[in-house]
Amino acid sequence: MPAVAPSEFPPPFDSADAIGPPTDPAEERIEVGVAIVGGGPAGLACANRLMQLLEDEPELTEKLGEVPVAVIEKGKVPGAHLLSGANVDPSALERLFPDLPPAEWPPVYQEVTKDATYFLTPGKAFPLKPPPPNFRKEGTYTLSVSKLGRFLAEKAEEAGVYILSETAATKLLVEDRIVRGVRSGDRGRGKDGEELGNFEPGSDVIAKATVLAEGTIGHLTYAAYDHFDLHGSDPQAWELGVKEIWEVPKPLDRVIHTLGWPLRWGPKYKEAGGSFIYPMGEDKVCFGLVVGLDTTDATFSVHDALQQFKTHPFVKKIIEGGKRVGWGAKTIPSGGYWALPKRFSVPGMLIAGDAAGMVNIAELAGVHYAMHAGMHAAEAIVESLKNDVDSVNFESYDAAIRDSEIEKDLYRSRNMKQPLTKGLIFGGMMGSAMVATKGAFPGGHWKVEDNADVPVEIGRAAEKYPQPDNELTFNKLDSVFLSGNATRDDAPNHVRIQTRVPREVAQTWVSMCPAQVYEIPEEQLENGAAEVDVHVTASNCVQCGAITAKGGRLTLPEGGDGPLYQET
Amino acid sequence: MAGILVYALHDDEGDFNKNSLGAISAAAKLAAEVGGEAAAVVVGEVGDEACAALGNYGAAKVYRAKSVPEGLAQPIVDAMAKVIDEEGFSYALFGGGLLGFEIGAGLTARLGAGVTMEVTEVKVRDGKLVAERPILQDSQIADVGYVSEPGIIIGRLNAFDIEESGGSAEVVDVEVELSPWSTKASMVQRGEQRGADVNIEDAEILVGGGRGLGAAEGFELCEELAGAMGGAVAATRAVVDAGWYPYAAQIGQTGKTVAPKLYLAAGVSGAIQHKVGMQSSENILAINKDPNAPIFEFSDLGVVGDLHKIVPKLTEAIKAKKGE
Repeated sequence: MPAVAPSEFPPPFDSADAIGPPTDPAEERIEVGVAIVGGGPAGLACANRLMQLLEDEPELTEKLGEVPVAVIEKGKVPGAHLLSGANVDPSALERLFPDLPPAEWPPVYQEVTKDATYFLTPGKAFPLKPPPPNFRKEGTYTLSVSKLGRFLAEKAEEAGVYILSETAATKLLVEDRIVRGVRSGDRGRGKDGEELGNFEPGSDVIAKATVLAEGTIGHLTYAAYDHFDLHGSDPQAWELGVKEIWEVPKPLDRVIHTLGWPLRWGPKYKEAGGSFIYPMGEDKVCFGLVVGLDTTDATFSVHDALQQFKTHPFVKKIIEGGKRVGWGAKTIPSGGYWALPKRFSVPGMLIAGDAAGMVNIAELAGVHYAMHAGMHAAEAIVESLKNDVDSVNFESYDAAIRDSEIEKDLYRSRNMKQPLTKGLIFGGMMGSAMVATKGAFPGGHWKVEDNADVPVEIGRAAEKYPQPDNELTFNKLDSVFLSGNATRDDAPNHVRIQTRVPREVAQTWVSMCPAQVYEIPEEQLENGAAEVDVHVTASNCVQCGAITAKGGRLTLPEGGDGPLYQET
Repeated sequence: MAGILVYALHDDEGDFNKNSLGAISAAAKLAAEVGGEAAAVVVGEVGDEACAALGNYGAAKVYRAKSVPEGLAQPIVDAMAKVIDEEGFSYALFGGGLLGFEIGAGLTARLGAGVTMEVTEVKVRDGKLVAERPILQDSQIADVGYVSEPGIIIGRLNAFDIEESGGSAEVVDVEVELSPWSTKASMVQRGEQRGADVNIEDAEILVGGGRGLGAAEGFELCEELAGAMGGAVAATRAVVDAGWYPYAAQIGQTGKTVAPKLYLAAGVSGAIQHKVGMQSSENILAINKDPNAPIFEFSDLGVVGDLHKIVPKLTEAIKAKKGE
């Protein structure tokens, strides 16, 4: 079997199409003070912080107009598209609402008091003692980010923020290399882009400052990277996490991370990753498997590997007698320090959170960085507009990020993930040495490889996946249903790929996608053709973003489409 | 009086809608339990006999508003609001269907009433009606009671079964003055829905075709079988998406919800997105070559085999039995 890199088959997509000047006549444009794209931890922390600061700045508030702060969110509600572990460092919660102790935040389940890390073999679990320092989670708080989105949106609305849900920001409005706002997407188009009876055109939203807080795989963010030449020294890379929530008869008393099985540890597979198992109060647990998207076996599927993971006696014991109540999938930027953009602001615009790759993958941390970044952005915007409401210079934000823990932490762990793709034993030793020396050993710059440049070939990963029994293990479509996704079938396809590709590339997409968006026609599967067609069922998409990592391009669906996560 | 008022929809030929008749039957049964009467509202020029015949389904009275046009929501809201107001009904019950949804919603707004949509069952608790409504993608059932009168209950399609009891209803003509806004829209044309010859929601026998048919031509097998059994043909999302069959026939989460007496699934894998649209069928028979297909987990009878061989034989056998 030949090995072929998906990047040889680039998607029919030009990021320049996502950038342009305003087109609506002046009187039809929607004017806001600050436009925030994305109602996640970064965007909503920014919105809340802005309102706090504006309370002391009546003059500036007046100048920002009728809508001082607007959050544009493509999900049905803020939180609908959010998914994370998550154990969250409380520093951002404490900074945003100092009067509300972290334990009392509604999205928080509990403080982490015990943690453990295990190495799994097919039938056994060996505790790692002491646990690797990067997995020490004591003092963090377990929370649900989809609940966090809802809570922060509620707080923001109380403070006077306009939340525009079910609205996709499809175009970055740029004039003379200054960002002027965003254009919202059309609604009510049919499969071939035709206008249906309920068609509503998008609008130009003009803002004094635009904050891109789009999260992982930012549609406008990456277009802006191209347009403003912001790409970091290495390409961004991603891991894909698939997560389930279970109601269980007995509570879990600790946070668990596992390494090893069902991932294969030979360097040729590049199956770098692991699992997390977190308690969610008295009656629920969540767990997930997170694996780098540079795997080489085209049949490798994180969703199915997670199903396999549940059949391990160690895991089975935790969820025994329980019931699956939630499922979801999301990519996580894992390029770390080397993939950070050159700048975090350009005239008129700031980038915050996962969109800017502010994730410390070695420590599985990102939510608090996103919130801190959002707050820094708010502070820089108010600082700048206070002196001159037409100022488009937000460079003080860059300085704040460079001085913050975000950049320091990412620098410390800058090389920790890369060695893991060279196999667990070498990678694990190297990673531990780096953690122990706070990144000083061996130092230097370990290159991050573009996920789509890694050649893929048909392997044997799929042979081990269990047949779904609908009690412990489930297929992809059942899972998509549980995500709350009920996207209409005649929505335009928002996934850009080449639809005639070598079997290896097609199989990679089929297996990788946790939502069964890609399919190879049955007769081509059977006749062994070297080149096959890829059929795309875009309405299944839960917008995890993996296709962008693996050689295609996820664009924005119609606002409101996609999953409706409740507690992920 | 804890009476229940039902809207009885009819077509241009004067035939009453199956869902309306089911709602009347359900109302009659519930009214008996709470010590009241079920009545129906009929609009347009419907004959005495046809109105009185609603008694066969349990209506004690039929209020007929001859001057009110059929098919548009607001004029019918005028009629129902007047009857509820003057006769003091405690509940209004609607069978499924878009017009019922719209009238029910309009009536709710007009009367400042409480409403429950997508109701699958109504029961009596402490002398009051409680509506059951599936929530969270049908994974849970919510019981909804009413704190004020009237309570508006809008059923899901096929939620209420027709029961014939014999009997005849008293027909009362009512004069309704239409609100100014009710005459702003007029009916241009009433017709069957989007390209379908048969309304699959009303069919008692459905043959559902899935990807296992192999190609668009496979639907000919389904059509022949449905023809022989006197049923209609339905389809899964995947085959509609592939252009093998029209959207009007799509069953499931993003299509229609059906509950026929017999659902024969040919080459349907039974993904949950399809299941939620047909799981309340009385009998489910599945033919699939994959013994692990999820459909076998919720079918009453499963046949593992090649539908291209089985379906034609089945068609032949049914024709032979019917002596055709």
